[in-house]
Amino acid sequence: MIGILKAMYVTFAMTLRKPVTIEYPTKHREVPQRDRAFPILLWDKDVDEPFCTGCHACERACPVECMTVTMKDNPLHADDKSKRRKIIDEFWIDYGRCMRCNICVEVCNFEAIAMNNTWAGHELSKFDRNDLVLDLDQLLSQHKQEKIDTWVAE
Amino acid sequence: MSMPSAGINIENAWLDAFVGVIVIVGLMTVVVMALIYIERKVAARMQNRLGPMRVGPHGTLQSLADALKLIGKEDLRPATADRWIFELAPFAVFVPTFLAFIAIPFTQNLAISFLDLGLFYVVAVTGLSFLGFLLAGWASDNKYALLGGMRAAAQLISYEVPLVLSLLAVSMVAGSLALHEIVEFQGRVPLVVWQPLAFFIFIAAVLAELERQPFDIPTAESEVVGGPFIEYSGIRWSMFFLASYASLFIYSLLGAIVFLGGWNWPLGAEAGLWLQLIWTFAKTSLLILLFIWIRFSFPRLRIDQLMSYCWKVLIPLSFLQIFLNGLVLVYGWPHIFLLLTSGAGLALAGYIIARVGQTEPRKVRLIPVRGGRKATASLTAPEGAEGGSSA
Amino acid sequence: MVQQQELETVDININMGPQHPSTHGVFRMVLTVDGEKVIDVEPHIGYMHRGGEKLSENMDYRQGIGYQDRTDYLTQFLNEQAYCMAVEKLTKLEVPERAEYLRVILCELNRITSHLMFIGAFGIDLGLFGTSFMYAFREREYIQDIFEEVSGERMMYGYFRPGGVVWDVPENFVQRVREVLPQTKQGLKDLDMLLTNNEIFVARSKGVGAISAEDAIDWGLTGPMLRASGVPWDLRKDQPYSVYDRFDFDIPIGQYGDVYDRYLVRLEETHQSIRIVEQALEQLPEGPILPEKLPRKLRAPEGEVYAAVENARGEYGIYIVSKGGDKPYRLKIRSPSFSNLSALRTMTIGNYIADAVAILGSVDIVLCDVDR
Repeated sequence: MIGILKAMYVTFAMTLRKPVTIEYPTKHREVPQRDRAFPILLWDKDVDEPFCTGCHACERACPVECMTVTMKDNPLHADDKSKRRKIIDEFWIDYGRCMRCNICVEVCNFEAIAMNNTWAGHELSKFDRNDLVLDLDQLLSQHKQEKIDTWVAE
Repeated sequence: MSMPSAGINIENAWLDAFVGVIVIVGLMTVVVMALIYIERKVAARMQNRLGPMRVGPHGTLQSLADALKLIGKEDLRPATADRWIFELAPFAVFVPTFLAFIAIPFTQNLAISFLDLGLFYVVAVTGLSFLGFLLAGWASDNKYALLGGMRAAAQLISYEVPLVLSLLAVSMVAGSLALHEIVEFQGRVPLVVWQPLAFFIFIAAVLAELERQPFDIPTAESEVVGGPFIEYSGIRWSMFFLASYASLFIYSLLGAIVFLGGWNWPLGAEAGLWLQLIWTFAKTSLLILLFIWIRFSFPRLRIDQLMSYCWKVLIPLSFLQIFLNGLVLVYGWPHIFLLLTSGAGLALAGYIIARVGQTEPRKVRLIPVRGGRKATASLTAPEGAEGGSSA
Repeated sequence: MVQQQELETVDININMGPQHPSTHGVFRMVLTVDGEKVIDVEPHIGYMHRGGEKLSENMDYRQGIGYQDRTDYLTQFLNEQAYCMAVEKLTKLEVPERAEYLRVILCELNRITSHLMFIGAFGIDLGLFGTSFMYAFREREYIQDIFEEVSGERMMYGYFRPGGVVWDVPENFVQRVREVLPQTKQGLKDLDMLLTNNEIFVARSKGVGAISAEDAIDWGLTGPMLRASGVPWDLRKDQPYSVYDRFDFDIPIGQYGDVYDRYLVRLEETHQSIRIVEQALEQLPEGPILPEKLPRKLRAPEGEVYAAVENARGEYGIYIVSKGGDKPYRLKIRSPSFSNLSALRTMTIGNYIADAVAILGSVDIVLCDVDR
């Protein structure tokens, strides 16, 4: 009998506490700085080109093979504006396959890729799974527009 | 015998009946929707959540939206189901619940009908609803549904007995089976004071009749996945749902009237119609909140425990209550003896429950591990960590 | 005269799962029931098989970590720990002390979250309408927040690496954990009050699905299942790995090996985990988190190695056969859920259907861990 009364006391006492719910779509919890959504590419503002040189390191390291990378000769290098001899030509990441393991960020030698740490990186529902294959422009856009403060471990 | 005048006085008997039906169905639908909303909100607060918040301000229109969705859903029937029984079973649950409403007085003058055997009638018609569960369980051609239907039949019939006996004990004291006369008896002191044991048995039996935790065995979500309702969808499923919440309301109303003094206590029968109505519903809400509170605090009993609890605890106790009442009433002892004897019975009930659960408080044995090796400069694999044990 | 025929009764088969609310995932039991009594159980597994062991053969030692997160998805850190320990043993990597402490802290917090999940779900199995689940999840969420702040992920942390951890914890890590622990204790108290002495809960769980110590050992049970039967076997004590030999803690063991004992053991283990975390926070040293001479691509010599940790469910072991190179030749996961589940039939037969649900709940399986 005492146990039953105790249980009823707990549930009653809980009604007096403030609910912990965050009403999600209208209110967003703050994501921590290290939050890992999906990988995005970073934009070098000094030279006005991506950091990525298309070296295939991330593509090789990806456990689920969700990346496709091609490289080209950098036209800005020919004009002596950029130190990058090669530059990324095309870059696709299939967010439907990505398992967000962060290995691509770790292996990148140029700090050209980072995990998205904003809510925009999480709310990606699409009607067609092909829409989850992002191309270079889409991958770069968030950092290019300075909408993100990325975090990459030293 | 002269009956108190009914609230609605219409000459034509047919028209009167028709208006009564409309009032019942309209009232019940609103009440049920409100109840569902309240239950969800209260449950949410008990679980530290917010509950429905989206539809309407603070989610008040959530039940309405759900009702619309259920009406719009396709009414599915398994190909192997027994067609007529399957389709009519919801009515067998739905109708008795609504029939019970006819005899329940809300205030001194407001009721569909004041029956001299009101208590008997209410218990009789609500007792029919088990048939619907059994039919639904059988006709669905689903093993879970069958199990649930059988459980429902066993449980509802068993718990009908203590329910009736506890009400019988009350009517012995009040000296009447008419609900309005029972209420009139409680002008000064509500019957729960004289009959705490009967009240306890009533609450337990009603929980079982309503199939709510800790007695929701027929519909057990984690075992038989909804039991008799498993194959129902759309409007037929919502009829079961409506009936279950309507019975929650009716049993709470019955408890408020029979045990808590209805409209009569503490203001007396002279209070105005609205005050009486407010008192009745306030007491009903109190019982409903109690049922909701219990639902979200307790796990479920097992079917054999449920049955033995009914036949070995509740029924003997209710016989004890009747016997004690008889003793007090025959010898014409003052009412305080009713309280004393019934209270002693309640204490006995509490003791039995405590004894059943608490054979011996069990504790785990703790094997201490003491960390001998404190931090060292460089870490190497400690001895004993090499190699595995069993794979 | 017509001879009265005896009524014939038929045993029916009930298909519990793979879509059933209380099978904890896609698990299927075919119950043969005589009325309400279970007379036979046939478990069917394999619905969640993803070939994690085979996939790991094509993964180098860093990529393989991601697959460890996805076996037992409630104790990811502990699985990563087992995998990293196996790789470290194979490649003779030395783990810096700070990394070991961080691992211990995170593993023990992870054990708490896993046990909270068990307590919450077990309440639902016994018919408590979501209340225990909500309380448990509320507390779990606070710890989950720490994990997210540390690793960036809510579920698939991928934080441990062979040789240490991938990056250091945030500055306020110690303070955050110290903040959360009292909250966890309060939450555990709520759950304790809600369930432990509740007569209905006790009536439902006491004496149900008991398994003796001999049987438990014969079936290869580990973890709380084994300890509930009264066998004080805990890898943290018996084969102390990492820095577990530096902490004072108790190993709770039960007496009867029934469902109630398993619940009690797990409840007590959360308290002991809190103790370990508190001690580890005290002792947490400064320093590097990865060995200094860590090669860019980890290559292992030939050989085979087995490393096991005490997972929240039992002994989670990784067996790696290497033929050189950067990938394992064969990787075998000794998953506790699978071994613990094997005793299900013995425990369930003769009980009621409702008990079958409670027993399955008390095994605390994770189907991804069973099927891998």
